[in-house]
Amino acid sequence: MAMAPALQDLEQFLFHEARLIDEKRWDEWGALFTEDGEYWVPATRGQPDAKNHVSLMYETALLRDVRLKRYPHPNAMSLQPVPYSVHVISNVMLDSFDAATRISVVNSRFIMLEYRRNEQQTYGGATTHVLETEGESFRIRMKKVELVNCDAVLPSIQIYF
Amino acid sequence: MTWSSERLSSLVRHDAVDRQVYTDPELFALEMERIWGRAWVYIGHESQIPEPGSFFTTELARQPVLLVRQDKDTYHLFFNRCAHKGAKVVELESGRAPMLRCGYHGWTYRTDGVCHHITGGDAAYRALGLDKGSPCMNLSTVPRAESYRGFVFASLTPDAPDLATWLGPTAASIDNMIDRSPEGRLEVAGGALRYHHDSNWKFFMENLNDMMHAMIAHESSAHAARQLGKKMLARGGALPPEIQILAPFAEDPDFFEKMGVHAFANGHSYSGGKTSIHASYSGIPEYEAALERAHGKERMDEILSLNRHNTVVYPSFTCKGAIQTIRVVKPVAVDETIIESWTFRLVGAPDELLQRSILYCNLINSSANLVGPDDREAYHRLQQGLQAQGERWVSNARYVDAEEPNEEGGRSATGSSDMVFRNQFEAWRRYMTADTASGG
Repeated sequence: MAMAPALQDLEQFLFHEARLIDEKRWDEWGALFTEDGEYWVPATRGQPDAKNHVSLMYETALLRDVRLKRYPHPNAMSLQPVPYSVHVISNVMLDSFDAATRISVVNSRFIMLEYRRNEQQTYGGATTHVLETEGESFRIRMKKVELVNCDAVLPSIQIYF
Repeated sequence: MTWSSERLSSLVRHDAVDRQVYTDPELFALEMERIWGRAWVYIGHESQIPEPGSFFTTELARQPVLLVRQDKDTYHLFFNRCAHKGAKVVELESGRAPMLRCGYHGWTYRTDGVCHHITGGDAAYRALGLDKGSPCMNLSTVPRAESYRGFVFASLTPDAPDLATWLGPTAASIDNMIDRSPEGRLEVAGGALRYHHDSNWKFFMENLNDMMHAMIAHESSAHAARQLGKKMLARGGALPPEIQILAPFAEDPDFFEKMGVHAFANGHSYSGGKTSIHASYSGIPEYEAALERAHGKERMDEILSLNRHNTVVYPSFTCKGAIQTIRVVKPVAVDETIIESWTFRLVGAPDELLQRSILYCNLINSSANLVGPDDREAYHRLQQGLQAQGERWVSNARYVDAEEPNEEGGRSATGSSDMVFRNQFEAWRRYMTADTASGG
């Protein structure tokens, strides 16, 4: 039977993932997802699915590709000046591990600052990572970000949480 | 300095407007009183208050209002303000309750707004001859509230013209959205998105029928989508809905010229009609079968061939009939606006229709979407750029006087014409000066 991954390994993976976003290493970040990996930011608390209710973001590989291609585009006016982010990840807990599929469900909390043109936005919430085990590391099948203010009137959000 | 009618009138030239209409806080306050206080302003949809006691709260010209259903056939729009000390009575956005009770001193109102209970009894008011049966103890009613086929609008002006007359040919955009339901009914579904903009409300209202910006401002996302789409087609695949939604934003200028713009009384307009950026979405066979069963082939083709891009009901409401979404404008300050986006279920249609509308809103209308941030940035730069004193006038001169009367009683022009903006400012001037808008 496969053993559950060590919490420290899971933590390091989440820290690494957040760091790739903050350092805008988009290709490496995109490669952390499985081919069918999803990234989801619901627009309401307890939102059961992403198909029948609007979301702030719901991206499959295709839409991640669009966004990651858009980032360096010289004519993306809302990305000039460039927005920057810093993530702080904490409270990492392994919610479940399936020994047969070697899939871990990891819950964590985050604070993210998004800064652009003299304005800084503060976001925080709970993140659920559904992680496939791959060798010594993991790949993301689902990253679901539940913002504490998901239903607020929000300005543009340009960086992944 | 006071804003006389003459001075207000001088802000609008046929081919330009004074930059102050976007930047001056006094003019914004006047707009709230004279445009947002005189026009019909969108409140909500009847499906949001389905049962007796269902309520929905929103704003009308920045004032809190409360839509409450009394019974199957009757609902009321009240100012959301307790008759006692003036606290907002209902704080939740929506819900259902048998009575409405103010949380401060406990005054309680029936769903028809009549005061049911005064804490401590009526005796305190006996000296004035008042009790809980006196009209001044009730919730006060917004002067006018009318529904156009389920879409509830309100006006602060008691003698506002009849709503359907005031909507004019833009009512057909609402009709088309309803007609796309096999049962002829819509329901609000899928939640709302609320997007904060740091700019004047009029920039948004102009941009929806600005046919010159899409291929420029949205180049980054739309080109990425087109590139990915090309690869998919080359591999023999079909274009997924995400690409079908995003790619048309980068259509060449000629496509948008041909969509055309159409302007009507009271500042209203729409773009597209025969075609739009929504015209090439894949059909949904199960849906078309249901619509054909309901209407017959000929009528179905007629309904689905009407493809308006954005319809603007000036100053508060915009809709996309072809994909069953609306966007609602809520001005906050001269340089602050909230844009709400709502989706509708076509009753009797398969879930894919609502799911496509939701996908569209995720991609175009959410705060974290792939298109809207560039619009928001454009409005931000307009708000900043127009602080510059160098030139008083903001041009609306494209294709001036190159407009043709259309069959609907309005005027039509090529897509990149500024006619729609000229038309909005004609209405702006009429509302803002003593000569109020008419339904004509």
